[in-house]
Amino acid sequence: MELRNTIETLCRAPGISGWEKNASMAALNLLKPYAPNAEIDAFQNVLGVVRLAEEGKPTVLLDAHIDEIGMIVTHVDAKGFLKVASCGGMDRRLVLGQEVSVYGRKELHGVIAAMPPHLTSSEDGAKVPEIEQILIDVGMEKDEVKKVVALGDRVSIRSDFHSMLGSRVASRALDDRCCVAVILRTLELLQDEKLDCGLSVMFTTQEETGERGAEIAGYRLKPDIAVALDVSFAHTPDADEYKCGKMGKGPMIGMAPSLDRKISAEFVRLAEEKGIPYQTEVMGGTTGTNADAIGTLCGGVRMGLLSVPLKYMHTPIEMIDLADCEAAAQLLAAYLSEVGKGE
Amino acid sequence: MWERIERYCRLNGVSGDEGLIRNAILEEVKAYCQYEIDAMGNLICFKKGMVTPDKKLMLCAHMDEVGFIITHVTEDGLLKFTTVGGIDSRVVLGRAVSLYRTGTTGVIGTKAIHQQTEKERETVVDVKDMFIDIGASSREEALGAVTPGDCAVFCTEFEEFGNGFVKGKALDDRIGCAVLVELIRSKLKFDTYFLFTTQEEVGLRGAKAAAYSVDPDFAVVVETTTAADLSGVSEQKQVCCLGKGAVVGFMDRAAIYDRDLYALSYKLAVEKKITAQTKTMVAGGNDAGAIQTSRGGTRTIAVSAPCRYLHSGVCTVKKDDVRSVLRLVHELAENIL
Repeated sequence: MELRNTIETLCRAPGISGWEKNASMAALNLLKPYAPNAEIDAFQNVLGVVRLAEEGKPTVLLDAHIDEIGMIVTHVDAKGFLKVASCGGMDRRLVLGQEVSVYGRKELHGVIAAMPPHLTSSEDGAKVPEIEQILIDVGMEKDEVKKVVALGDRVSIRSDFHSMLGSRVASRALDDRCCVAVILRTLELLQDEKLDCGLSVMFTTQEETGERGAEIAGYRLKPDIAVALDVSFAHTPDADEYKCGKMGKGPMIGMAPSLDRKISAEFVRLAEEKGIPYQTEVMGGTTGTNADAIGTLCGGVRMGLLSVPLKYMHTPIEMIDLADCEAAAQLLAAYLSEVGKGE
Repeated sequence: MWERIERYCRLNGVSGDEGLIRNAILEEVKAYCQYEIDAMGNLICFKKGMVTPDKKLMLCAHMDEVGFIITHVTEDGLLKFTTVGGIDSRVVLGRAVSLYRTGTTGVIGTKAIHQQTEKERETVVDVKDMFIDIGASSREEALGAVTPGDCAVFCTEFEEFGNGFVKGKALDDRIGCAVLVELIRSKLKFDTYFLFTTQEEVGLRGAKAAAYSVDPDFAVVVETTTAADLSGVSEQKQVCCLGKGAVVGFMDRAAIYDRDLYALSYKLAVEKKITAQTKTMVAGGNDAGAIQTSRGGTRTIAVSAPCRYLHSGVCTVKKDDVRSVLRLVHELAENIL
């Protein structure tokens, strides 16, 4: 399937941290052609062994997280409005007046209530609400709401999958569904390649709430080497240039104390050799991705990190360039074609 | 009626750029009335009734909607913009918008929460600091798709939800437009002028010009008005409530309504069993302000559908209330003279 369609299919499935089953199922269906025995575990992680390692060869694990940020219902008030808490790092400055889906017994549509401007004093107007203060309006009385919505149900801000100019797209959940698609594209590229390594894949849950799914699934797959695929910051005028990559300039090769220096260097060498566009992203300690959790599993895993530059992270209109995803898949495929040679 | 409202809401027409919605209305009324389009783009229709009264009656709704207008394209290919009409900065960030002249989609984003300081996380981003990103990487690429002066509207879904609620952009005031169209297409008691105005959201400007031309004696403005009937809001500050019927207020920030017409509205509501409510705060304002003071003055009343989240991409009304608005406007049109 074409990269864009894969990403769209994945983004259209809801999967908020701790309740990822729809997104996991969509990812499982896409992984099965490459890993027929792939399965979903008790934590809704998707795990699949693509190839077993031959004697003495390393097993490489590819990871992307399947969960997205959202909200969780904590209360239904007397007028039938829902109260919520955050599931992952919600930007509270952009929630008012958004359309939402409430994933109750059935999917409900609603609106995050906003006080009209003519009724907000200039002081209130300048205030960013706490997530606990906002009201979700589903247009029903309390009794009716309670028949459909239970405390603990997830809520997501809705957005369409938008085609922008060139090869850019915008949607919610591109963090990190676009990297699930990068891994699938990598498997497609390697379909007929002979590899000198074993290859496993996991699409992990609860990354946004503390890299929890990766810890569980990674343990079960026991890799020697792992590459985490995630998104990172693409520059926008309101951010510091030196803290960001640039959209459309290729995947960002992670370099950090918590990552394996040789793997980072190998990515750079291969990108140069194959003429694949790339950028580097240097961090001072850990990476804020699943790489941190996977690296210390099972006595330690040699860890690499590739990131797709993404604008407007943790908003319903995250934006990526499909060309960066394709380049990430090319680079990852090049790496997997060489790893384990001579071992 | 709802099919028409939905169709009208899906059409885009920011103040000063009302061509699409005007054409749609015109198509549906031209067989039923005489009409003209004036220099400001107002659509003025006249329909004969069974009776030709001494006094002139005019019904009015505005065609324009709030939105955005592109002011500048940066070297990086990002679009600077300003709001057209009163849009709260807090309902702009993190949305997709449609630059409908060319069918281009844009998004209004922000740097990631991870990159914000504690203070930034607590500070509302002002519209002047935002930009629309259409995915262009250079000014040249952006200018191939948009040009300064192009308008944009929120990309939101028009849909019914919950228990008889409807949400979408532009319900303010496509509801009023649909009510007027419904009446033009029906049999009327009196000769009546129907005025579909432009530029209401930027200062009641179309109505000012057209009311001069029509020179009515009586006017009924059909509108949506802000409702804040949310949990935690005092009864008084709720202004009006969804589900409690058509809103006829005594005063807002643009007009003090005609006392007799106010009384007549409630008399008719009681007689005809139409649910109606007043406003509990002096808030909002509409074309009535411009019409009432036109020439030697016009006796004016406004009938509105209560609407939550007005001027956002998710204006929310209750269908029953809109039905009450239609019925009350119909009664007023037959009893006002």
